[in-house]
Amino acid sequence: MSDWYSMNVVLIQTTLTTLLLALSIQVPLRYGVFSFAGVGAFGIGGYTGAMAMVHGEWSTWPAVLLGTLVAGVCTFLLGLVVQRLTGLYMGMATIAFTLIISVLAVNGGDWTGGAMGLYGAIGEITTMHIVLAVLIVVAFLAWTEYGRRGRKVDTVREDPELANALGIDVNGYRRLSFLISGLIGGLAGAITTLLRSTITPSEVNFHLVILALTAIVVGGARSWVGALIGAVIFVWLPTFLSFVQEWEKVAYGFIVAVAAIYLPNGVLGVVKDLWHKSRTRDERARVAVGLQEKS
Amino acid sequence: MAENTVEETRRGRPLLEVDDVAVHFGGVKAVDGITLELRAGHIYGVLGPNGSGKSTLLGAMTRLTPMTRGSFVFEGNDYTRRPARTVHHMGIARTFQTVRLLDDRSVRDNILLGQDTLAKAGRKDADARVDEVMERVGVTAVARMRPDELSYGMQRRVEFARAIIGRPRLLLLDEPTAGMNSSEREEIGALMKQLLDEGITQFIVEHDVQMMVDTCDYLFAMNFGKLIAEGTPAAVVKHPAVQEAYLGKGAGTHA
Repeated sequence: MSDWYSMNVVLIQTTLTTLLLALSIQVPLRYGVFSFAGVGAFGIGGYTGAMAMVHGEWSTWPAVLLGTLVAGVCTFLLGLVVQRLTGLYMGMATIAFTLIISVLAVNGGDWTGGAMGLYGAIGEITTMHIVLAVLIVVAFLAWTEYGRRGRKVDTVREDPELANALGIDVNGYRRLSFLISGLIGGLAGAITTLLRSTITPSEVNFHLVILALTAIVVGGARSWVGALIGAVIFVWLPTFLSFVQEWEKVAYGFIVAVAAIYLPNGVLGVVKDLWHKSRTRDERARVAVGLQEKS
Repeated sequence: MAENTVEETRRGRPLLEVDDVAVHFGGVKAVDGITLELRAGHIYGVLGPNGSGKSTLLGAMTRLTPMTRGSFVFEGNDYTRRPARTVHHMGIARTFQTVRLLDDRSVRDNILLGQDTLAKAGRKDADARVDEVMERVGVTAVARMRPDELSYGMQRRVEFARAIIGRPRLLLLDEPTAGMNSSEREEIGALMKQLLDEGITQFIVEHDVQMMVDTCDYLFAMNFGKLIAEGTPAAVVKHPAVQEAYLGKGAGTHA
């Protein structure tokens, strides 16, 4: 066990930080907001944490906390500005936000280390710490998916007008989704940065949007469990695909395309459907018999 | 007997006062100056051909459709300027013209949504209440199934249950029996009368004249965004303006 752990410690840590990043993109999607601002928050959290350590000589956890909060506040404010946009326009605006963050990082001079990035933010972060942070985030998200809260969030996403008619504050939920997404994205960025002790502008870019989206599409967009499944698949896939060598990217693309076409609700959706079908077998049989008798 | 029903609708406390409400979409006057009063303890119906403004009126009443002028007062509270979501909290529930349920949630979850935003008192004993409501509309056997696995008639029942679980005082129904067969229609009609006995006043928009005559005790008729007649079902159906709206000019004289 400990042998396996020490051989794979980097992969395990990457799985957890990728999960956080994926969750920061998944939260707005669950609330029906097509926002990728979580990736921008990742950059803000990473840079803020690194600057606090390098320039401010802060210790690890205050720096992570600062990065998380600053990213949360910035993303929430962005949400206030763009909340009237929908669909593709929302997607464009939030991707622009991410690109602006990386441009700011390039032009930040000594503060951000310019194009070379910031070095020497050596955080004291162990796998146990990351597991703890992930547990807190997941416990909170599971709570928002459960019972009354979960039903309301689903309605806001699936049918905003109906949600309004049922007394749900749709705009309030949308704004909240920006705040949560920003906090989680910032946490992911701060932990990732202080773990590697460095961040560069090129790391805060569109490829993170793709990574997060593919994890969600393949795993499942409706629950944190889906993001976990996706994060595990895409972090560990390269180790299993090493035999295809340079074809790895092709295999990767193939998996995403197949998932998008055949598993519209991801791996989690398939599991949930199977569970639902086996649980309601009797009811469905009765309804079928009832229909036959009627006709 | 007809006169008697008109007398009866004048009784009961005033529930909803609609005053000079208009909804204009650019040059189109979908609803153009409607004034009416609903009193507790009745089933009201709005008749009118397609495009007469019935559904738009319902949209304005629930504040989902922005209005051009007019006011709404429910149980003495003017809610004309309040956001749409507060209408549900006040005690007005509605259904839509098309089925609008969450397909990846169980029937039970869909019904519970009708009380999820109410204050704590309104959500008391939710489990017992949802069982009672499901029994009521006849969906207990399919509680764990998903709406997309059910027949259209069953889906409409689930919507009904979602609308009544929060014990509204006024229920707005937009074509509740559209697409149903005649036995399903009768069942829904019976359910409406039962709900009335429990104190839920109803306001139905529908173009099936027979259904309205059978179920409602007071009718309004609309055409081109205006009220053209109101009164007992029998009187409204015979009204020349209503006959003309439905059958064309000249039809009224032969009726």
